[in-house]
Amino acid sequence: MSNAIAMKCSAFLALVATALAIPSAAGAGTSVWFLSDGKPVPVVRGGTTIESAVRQLLAGPTPAERGRGVRSAVPRATPLLSVSVAQRIVTVDLGPRFAAGRDEQGLQGRVGQLVRTVTGIPGVRAVRVLVDGGVPVGLFPGYDLRRPVTAALEPVQGQESIRDHQQQLVDLGFMAPSGLTGTLDTQTSTAVLGFQKWANLSRDGALGEATVAALQRATRPEPRLRAPGRRIEVQLRRQLALLIQGNRVVRAVHISSGAGGATPRGSFRVYRKERYSWSVPFKVWLPWASYFTGGIAFHEYGSVPTYAASHGCVRVNRYDAPTLFGFAETGTPVDVLDEATA
Amino acid sequence: MSPRAAAKAMVGGIGVVAGLLGLVVVAAAAIVALGLPAESRADDPLPVPVAQPRPTELVIALSLGDPVLQAGAVRDGQVILARGLEVDLARDLARRLGIPRVRFIYVRPASRLLAAKARPWHLTIASIRPGRAASSVADLSKPYLGTDQAVILRRGLPRLSALGELRSRITCALRGGDGARALAASVAPTVRPILAPSNERLLQLVQTGVCDAAVVPADAVGRLVAGRGALLGPITARIELGSGYVVAVTRGGPIAVAEVDRALMRMRVDGTMHRLVRAWLGIDPARLRPLR
Repeated sequence: MSNAIAMKCSAFLALVATALAIPSAAGAGTSVWFLSDGKPVPVVRGGTTIESAVRQLLAGPTPAERGRGVRSAVPRATPLLSVSVAQRIVTVDLGPRFAAGRDEQGLQGRVGQLVRTVTGIPGVRAVRVLVDGGVPVGLFPGYDLRRPVTAALEPVQGQESIRDHQQQLVDLGFMAPSGLTGTLDTQTSTAVLGFQKWANLSRDGALGEATVAALQRATRPEPRLRAPGRRIEVQLRRQLALLIQGNRVVRAVHISSGAGGATPRGSFRVYRKERYSWSVPFKVWLPWASYFTGGIAFHEYGSVPTYAASHGCVRVNRYDAPTLFGFAETGTPVDVLDEATA
Repeated sequence: MSPRAAAKAMVGGIGVVAGLLGLVVVAAAAIVALGLPAESRADDPLPVPVAQPRPTELVIALSLGDPVLQAGAVRDGQVILARGLEVDLARDLARRLGIPRVRFIYVRPASRLLAAKARPWHLTIASIRPGRAASSVADLSKPYLGTDQAVILRRGLPRLSALGELRSRITCALRGGDGARALAASVAPTVRPILAPSNERLLQLVQTGVCDAAVVPADAVGRLVAGRGALLGPITARIELGSGYVVAVTRGGPIAVAEVDRALMRMRVDGTMHRLVRAWLGIDPARLRPLR
């Protein structure tokens, strides 16, 4: 009888020992997850057990890795109380230090590191996290640790889709809601150009890292001048036309004004509007034309570069030309200004 | 006297003693029935409180789950690691009640905090809002944290001085949240409010100027705007709803609700409450100017 119990016990211990060992190729090591720029990054470490992987995680990145910007959200000197495995679920019990701090991103990040490290080990189905032998409830935002966790949360940063960026451009007034397509099309690029001009970024129309970062922190464009009612403000340095209602910018439009200062500065009013206007000197049809001084008008044009390129008119991109035309009723004030001096 | 006669006499004596005892019992019962205090009568609805000894340990029930208000680690129903605004408040409360130790217990689901038949705890601190259901089963303290709504303006707008100034503005709130209800009930905007699906989207709408003002729970506003200060306008006002979170005191226990109220009042007066709220919520809703 006692022999049978002893045999069962040794079989169980062997099972636990097998489960605790990382069943990966000998010498291949295991991935321990840290953070770089807030994003999870794996670092290969030696070791053959789940416990060693967790210990490597708690030890943090090496000085060399730190030099490369690798960080850990796990507090230094967090003690490991125990590691056990049952039914391919690993239970990791950590000291109370694991829950130290109030920074939500840090608290979420450290659980993510632990979950990624442990569930990345072949054969592990989930990880149960304990703090000082207790089940954490509400300590780690975003995670319900009352039950085993099978996957880490994706970091919030870097999750935005093209549609999210388009929504930001619409919200800020650089694009019409019709531009919410989810694809990086020319309408989006045009709106991005407008935003880049406003934010003083390099004007390439692409959703690059700097542009995306600036979009996250952008606020609505503000008019340079204050005046009641509906009006248009042309900012020559930025090459933007702001459609303003009650001192609130309703749309910011990517334009190209006259090269070499050919567009006159000053305060004018829209005095003539033509759906199609024939340009006598240049012998070309100008769609959506709103004249505001002499022969100078806002009009649609196929080529709207990022700099002042016209003969004096204000070229408007094809996506915004109908909107601007509809906004610029006859009599609407137009202020053409150099932001440096206005 | 023969042994038998002696035994007979003894039995007779016992009978007399038993009879006398019976009389005493009947008399005592009559006295008790006539003269006992009122609490022993089953039909009396007003029990006289029985003085209970002061506990050396204050047992407080928590529901946990909110990283800022109350969170912890639970082992066998006991909260072995607790933290949050309500946890700090509970510890301070115990100190002011003169009880040297605090033990937190975890009650799940949260609905059991008040609905449980047996409540082996003295106080419940779990973002409880006063209501008929709560007050029917426990004595409720005065609110320790208001559940008013705060107003976040977009950048560039002047500070509000009256509730009426919000009426013609483009307002927004979380869909289905208290902010949306407060907008409808207290502001009655003339422009249809925008209802956002998430707090993240709500703040984006204010940041980008789609909304002029967002109405959000005042106890959450500090957390919501953390790190975004420069992207948003001033947060200086709140819409008063006249409600708040209260402590539920278990009836028949050694703690009286009046004691809790006095302790909470002292915490307010000496600035402890403000310090705790600032530390955990970032902004003390009580310090925001009410909009009327």
